[in-house]
Amino acid sequence: MDNKKLEKIAKSVRKSVFEFKTRDGIGHLHSSLSPVDVLVSLFYDEETIFDHKEDIVIFGKAHGSPSIYPILADLDYFPKDELEKYCRPGGILRLHSDWTIPGCHFVGGSLGNGIGYATGLAQAERDKNIYLIMGDAELYEGSVWESLMYISHHNLTNLRIIVDRNGLGTIGETEKMLKLEPLADKMKSFVGDVVEIDGHNYDSLRGVFSSQNPQVVIAKTTKGKGVSYMEGKWKYHTIVPSSKEDIKLGLEELS
Amino acid sequence: MTQRDTFIDELFKIAKEDKDVILISVDMGASALDQWRDELPEQFIWTGISEQHSINLAAGLSAKGKKVYVYMMAAWSARCFEQIRYSCSMPGNPVTILSNGVALGYAPAGPAHETNEDIAYMRSLLNVEIHCPRNIPKTKELVRLSYEEPKLRYIRLERKYDVRFNDEDNGSLIGGIEMVKPGLFNNPARTGEPKVAIVSYGYMLGRCDDVWKKMMENNIEGCLFDMYQLKPNPITESMFDSFTHIISVEEQTLSGGFGSIILEGLSDVGVKKDVLRIGLPERYIFENGDRDYHLDSNGLSVDSIYDKVVEFING
Repeated sequence: MDNKKLEKIAKSVRKSVFEFKTRDGIGHLHSSLSPVDVLVSLFYDEETIFDHKEDIVIFGKAHGSPSIYPILADLDYFPKDELEKYCRPGGILRLHSDWTIPGCHFVGGSLGNGIGYATGLAQAERDKNIYLIMGDAELYEGSVWESLMYISHHNLTNLRIIVDRNGLGTIGETEKMLKLEPLADKMKSFVGDVVEIDGHNYDSLRGVFSSQNPQVVIAKTTKGKGVSYMEGKWKYHTIVPSSKEDIKLGLEELS
Repeated sequence: MTQRDTFIDELFKIAKEDKDVILISVDMGASALDQWRDELPEQFIWTGISEQHSINLAAGLSAKGKKVYVYMMAAWSARCFEQIRYSCSMPGNPVTILSNGVALGYAPAGPAHETNEDIAYMRSLLNVEIHCPRNIPKTKELVRLSYEEPKLRYIRLERKYDVRFNDEDNGSLIGGIEMVKPGLFNNPARTGEPKVAIVSYGYMLGRCDDVWKKMMENNIEGCLFDMYQLKPNPITESMFDSFTHIISVEEQTLSGGFGSIILEGLSDVGVKKDVLRIGLPERYIFENGDRDYHLDSNGLSVDSIYDKVVEFING
């Protein structure tokens, strides 16, 4: 699929997420916008090796997992009107995805655990691919590095780790909090096959999700991508736009 | 043989026939592990000291249909409590946790290695079964149960502990609690006398047996119960009909522990009885000594328990 079409899909996904998040103001919109292009590349670009019917996506950073809901609805995992019932009584979609939601496979919400769980899935069925989407601020959890050592030792190459490297924690930049850089070098010392790419560039995404297929992809992204006043602003981690003007502007930019 | 080696040994026999049985050792040793390493290397996973990862890994394997056992130190169950809750309990992944060195079992190593609260915090988890086998037959039966009916289980294993109360102690797990020492005299002339039920589990049963003997010597009516299943709560409405006093004895601090299970069980079935909880004091033990020394010096000697019983029934 050409990049223009992928970008168009990504925009509609972001708009959908923006709509259901701002409807009731229920959190982590900011974190849900950064990994959208990664997901669109996996799910819609035929040149990637990802197969949503066979492969499993695990969200380590489950607070960003609502980004997958419009995609799963589009692929008929559940009715589209579920998006309108997001976080409402009677709806099936929650702030953190969990295994009760069709197309989701893990109880989300506690950082640092998705990687170990995904490791178990990958080891149980080595012929299946597991795609793990982690947050960069999730890397501060020690359990992540326990699992990385294990993944390397057991050569679990069917587990593909994507770090949504948006550079922000809850209340500021990761490099001001505790330096993660040089992140690629740190990851390489655990699992050798690590690449850094622009997580919003479809050529780059296609490259790593098709022929290169490295174990770890550090996808440099922008938190709040697509909404100019939110992009890269850490305070939006916990704030969902609520004023009519902000919502109108956001929707305009995503339309 | 220890309960631990018995469990690992019995499980090995099953694992040889079923490749989906996986044993994870969080760098914990046991002589029974050697055969796993030699003969079933694909089914033995040595994760290293990484409790959080090990539980998440086990949960993931379990989600794909593997029958997973995690062998770890009891004290570190607190360290991966979150992962047990999050990756096993919430999604219903039936991992079996083999908890070794329970309560003061590692006493010479100091309070960091002791688990005087694990019953309290583990039983707060949803969808978990907790077992404390008193002997080898019960340990073997738990191997069968965990394999045939997978569930999230926390099995507290003793080291060299194998208490048999009679020749027919065959390991049945039916009921979760059983009277192991009868001691009601059924004498109509003693209708108004106290009738004591001592309820305990695991390592404390040996001491409670001595307390019971002392009660018999001193003409105090009472029976000893082993409650080897702590969750689900096995107490029934009629279980203590014949008793006037119920006394729980545990190798734990009292906050939310074994005695609390008794109280909750009685309350849930609408039984009102006088209950005394006996356990470890609310403190960490920073003194040298082995398990029995610490029990003796922290209110859980046979004489101390007996004195508390007498004071309670005379109170």
